[in-house]
Amino acid sequence: MKEELFVSGRAIPNIDPYLNIWHWQIPLYLFLGGLAAGIMFFAALFTIMGKENEMSTAVKKAPIIAPIALVLGLLALLLDLKHKLYFWQLYTTIRYQSPMSWGAWVLMAITPLSMIWVASYMKELIPGWKWKNSLLDSFEAFIIKYRLWMAWIIIVLSVILGIYTGILLSAFNARPLWNTSILGPLFLVSGMSTGAATILLMSKSHEERRTMSWIDLLLIVVELFFITHLIMGMKAGSQVQIDAAALFLGGEFTAVFWVFVIVLGLVFPAVLEVLERIGYHIPVIIPVILILLGGLMFRFIMVEAGQITRYLY
Amino acid sequence: MEKNRRDGSFYINPYLGGVLLGLVLFATYYITGRGLGASGAVKNTVVTTVDVIAPAHAEKSHYYSKFLNENSSPMNNWLVFEVLGVMAGAFLSGTLYGRLKLKNEHSPKIKPRTRLIAAVAGGLMFGIGSQLARGCTSGAALSGLAVLSASGMITMLGIFGSAYLFGWLFKKLWI
Repeated sequence: MKEELFVSGRAIPNIDPYLNIWHWQIPLYLFLGGLAAGIMFFAALFTIMGKENEMSTAVKKAPIIAPIALVLGLLALLLDLKHKLYFWQLYTTIRYQSPMSWGAWVLMAITPLSMIWVASYMKELIPGWKWKNSLLDSFEAFIIKYRLWMAWIIIVLSVILGIYTGILLSAFNARPLWNTSILGPLFLVSGMSTGAATILLMSKSHEERRTMSWIDLLLIVVELFFITHLIMGMKAGSQVQIDAAALFLGGEFTAVFWVFVIVLGLVFPAVLEVLERIGYHIPVIIPVILILLGGLMFRFIMVEAGQITRYLY
Repeated sequence: MEKNRRDGSFYINPYLGGVLLGLVLFATYYITGRGLGASGAVKNTVVTTVDVIAPAHAEKSHYYSKFLNENSSPMNNWLVFEVLGVMAGAFLSGTLYGRLKLKNEHSPKIKPRTRLIAAVAGGLMFGIGSQLARGCTSGAALSGLAVLSASGMITMLGIFGSAYLFGWLFKKLWI
């Protein structure tokens, strides 16, 4: 963009009438961050509950996805930056009022922790796995000894990470659709639901699948409840908020939001999971893929729609 | 007929299925103000694909350009969403009757591959035919007849009349 050539503050591509500067990288990152937060939350939760063996996929296997998702998500964030080589400047300051600062620091902590978590289970996951360095071996023994402590740290960090994916948006007070405090819990629950679905897909134990599908169903219900409240809160707000809600209630995002997020992403997989529970045979991959796609679509829609809502006209 | 309803051997009574389909059509007219369709969703998918891969060709073509519009993608269409619903509904119905299996149903007289080739060829011809006739069994015949349109009647006669004729010739692909 050649800012020096602007002759008017109006009709500028991507700035006016709509500021549209966040593209696919941000929603993709929000999805992957939420997914990783969900997976690490359950890994830590079941470790704290002492159920490493009953819930072995959640604790040992599924966390492999977390560092991969985090690295890909961080890559997407890097791609979004205009001056990519300046990313490290986020780490020259700690600003507790800034969600981006919170996010940057939490990611700085949880990404290596998730890698260490996976590494500490490598010997159990791959028989015959050997660290080729005695230092690594003693470090592994140290981690295994203090794994419970690590789980406590991870459970806190994963909740912060999950909430932060929503707060990142809701801190924008100039965007009425985002500027609601329910977005944090909503994104947390949605991220946990995608994490639970991933564990459900990877698990081979009947008992574990049952537990995870219960949890996932509960999370879907809570998510629907939060979405209802998001819309109700908007409807009860000022005109800009009412306009923001109207995007989903007859406006341009109505069809994609209701079809891909609510029906195909939440209600339909919930129905399939209920049918599975009462004895019908359903390949687990179908509800899981629907939940993951629904979560991804939800973030894309929220980021896209949020950018076109505003206070000033 | 005491059959296990979940072993896949039992499915909904076709007459009851027809009545239910009629009710769906009725509800569709009531809720959306237009009828059902199927080939339109495929057409929009094809148009969008061509537009993404070869936009210049899509714009030049008399056929594709008719469905392209600068402001909105052809995928943002009621029929596309409807077909997603059809897939979800089919999946649910298959689940409820225990018919959720990946299989190739064909006559014992032919090879599975023959069945697949015949089905794809038939589908392609039906797709072309539906574009010439401006609608398929659902869009033109079913929704058209529901509002007693003459074109719906002609389409229905055309589709089922030719099916009687060609069905006799290609019978062994089925039974």
